[in-house]
Amino acid sequence: MKRAWSADELARDGRFVRIEFMARAKDPRPLPSEQGGRRAPLTPDRPGAPEQARSLMHGIFTGEIQALEGAGRTCWDFPVGNGPDDAPFELKLDMARQCWDEARHCEISVKLGDWMGTEIGEFAESAFLYEAACNPDPVLRLTGVNRALEGLAIDVFNTMRDFGEVSGDPILEFCEDWMLADEVTHVKMGSDWLRRMTADDPERRERALEFQRVVDKLFSIGGIRGEDEDSPIKLARRFRELAGFADEEIDEIAQLSHEARQELLTQRRRTVEAQAS
Amino acid sequence: MAVVTPETFTMVLYDHDAIVAAADAVAAAAGLPTSEDLRIEVDEANPLARTHLLSIDPIELAIDGGAFEDPRHPRQLDTDAVAVVVGRLVLQALDRRSPSFGEPPPEDALSVPHRVAWDVYSLGRLDRLGYPGQRQRRLYNFRNRHGFTDAGDAAFDALWSGEALTWADITGLSDDARALMAS
Repeated sequence: MKRAWSADELARDGRFVRIEFMARAKDPRPLPSEQGGRRAPLTPDRPGAPEQARSLMHGIFTGEIQALEGAGRTCWDFPVGNGPDDAPFELKLDMARQCWDEARHCEISVKLGDWMGTEIGEFAESAFLYEAACNPDPVLRLTGVNRALEGLAIDVFNTMRDFGEVSGDPILEFCEDWMLADEVTHVKMGSDWLRRMTADDPERRERALEFQRVVDKLFSIGGIRGEDEDSPIKLARRFRELAGFADEEIDEIAQLSHEARQELLTQRRRTVEAQAS
Repeated sequence: MAVVTPETFTMVLYDHDAIVAAADAVAAAAGLPTSEDLRIEVDEANPLARTHLLSIDPIELAIDGGAFEDPRHPRQLDTDAVAVVVGRLVLQALDRRSPSFGEPPPEDALSVPHRVAWDVYSLGRLDRLGYPGQRQRRLYNFRNRHGFTDAGDAAFDALWSGEALTWADITGLSDDARALMAS
C-alpha cells in the first residue's frame, strides 16, 4: 500500500467541491468588514449568525474527515521504531484511537448538519488540515496537526458550544461539548509526543515548533481566531492549558493570529491595487 | 420584466441574462404581472448576503452580491439563490401591497424575529411553487430566534404551510413562541 498520499489523491464523491485555501485572499472583492459587515463574536443576536454557524459546522465536518485520514496515514506511513524516520508503536496506537474519535466526530457532524439544515457538500472543502498531515517527519505532523490544527479545533468547538448554549440549542451544545473533550485529548497527545520524541533532539523540537507556528499563523484564518475583542472565534485558553499548552505558547498564538489579520489586510490591499492597475 | 444592474459583472463571474431569466420566472410564479418592471441592483463588490426591499411599486431590490453566490464555487452565480432571494422579496412586496395583509413596519424597522417569521411564511409559499425552500435550514434559523421548543416548531409549521396569512398572524405566531421561550 502506498505511503504518503497527497491531498489531491483523497477520495471524495461527487457532492464535494475542493477549494484552494487562499482563494478568499485572492478574491478581488473587499472584505466583509470593509463593506459594512460587522466582525464580531458568533452570537444569536446577529442576523446572519445561524447561517455562519451552518457554514462553520460544515467546515468542521470536512476537517473531521481529513483528521481521520491524517491520523490513519500516520499509522501507516512510518515504520515502527524509534529512529528519526520511524514512529513508536505507542504513537501509532494513539493515532488509531484518534481515528476512532474522528470517525465518530464525522458521524456526529453529519447529524449536526442534518439538524441545522445543511447538505453534505453544500459548502466548498479546503484540504488544509490534511495538507499539514503530509509532512514527512512524524513529529512535525504532530505539531502541525495535533497541536496547531486540533488546537484550532478546540477554539472552534468551544465557540460553537457557546453559541449552542446562548441560542438554547441543546443538541449543538451537547455534541460540541463531547467533541471538544476529545480534541483536548488529541492536542495533549501532540504535546506529549513532541516532548517524548524530541527529548534528546532540541533541533528537531525547534523545527517542529517552527512548523507549528507556521501552521498556527496560516490557519488563524486571517485572524478570525484570536483574542481581539471582535474575533469571531476566541482562543480557548483554559482548554488549551488542559491540552498541555504553556501560557506563553497561548500568548504567542494570539500574537500570530493578530499578525495574520494584519497580513491578510495587506495582501487584500495589494490585490485591490493590482486590480486597479 | 426584470431590469438588472449592472449589465456586466467584473468582480464576480455572474451572468446578467441568467439573473434576469431566474428573476422573471420566479416573479411570475409569485404573482407579479409580467407587464411590471422588477428592478434589481446587485452590489457585485459586496460578498455579504444582505438583501433589501427598497420600494414596492415598482418593486426595487438592492442585493449584496454574496446573496447570489454559489457557496461551493466562490464568485460564481447560483441561480437557485437568485430565485429564492428574489421570490421571497417579491412575495413580501406583494404582501405589503395587499390591503388585507395589514401594515408591517418599514423594512429597516422590522425586528429580527418578525423578519425571520415573515421569511418562513414567504419561503414556505416558494417551496410549494417548486423552488428549493430548504425547510430544515429555515427551521434552524427560526428556532434560533423563537426557541428550540415544540411550541416554536408548531409556530414554524403554521408559518411554513400558511396561506393568506396577515401581518397580525405572523407577528402573533412569532411573539407567542418567543414568550414561551422566555418563560
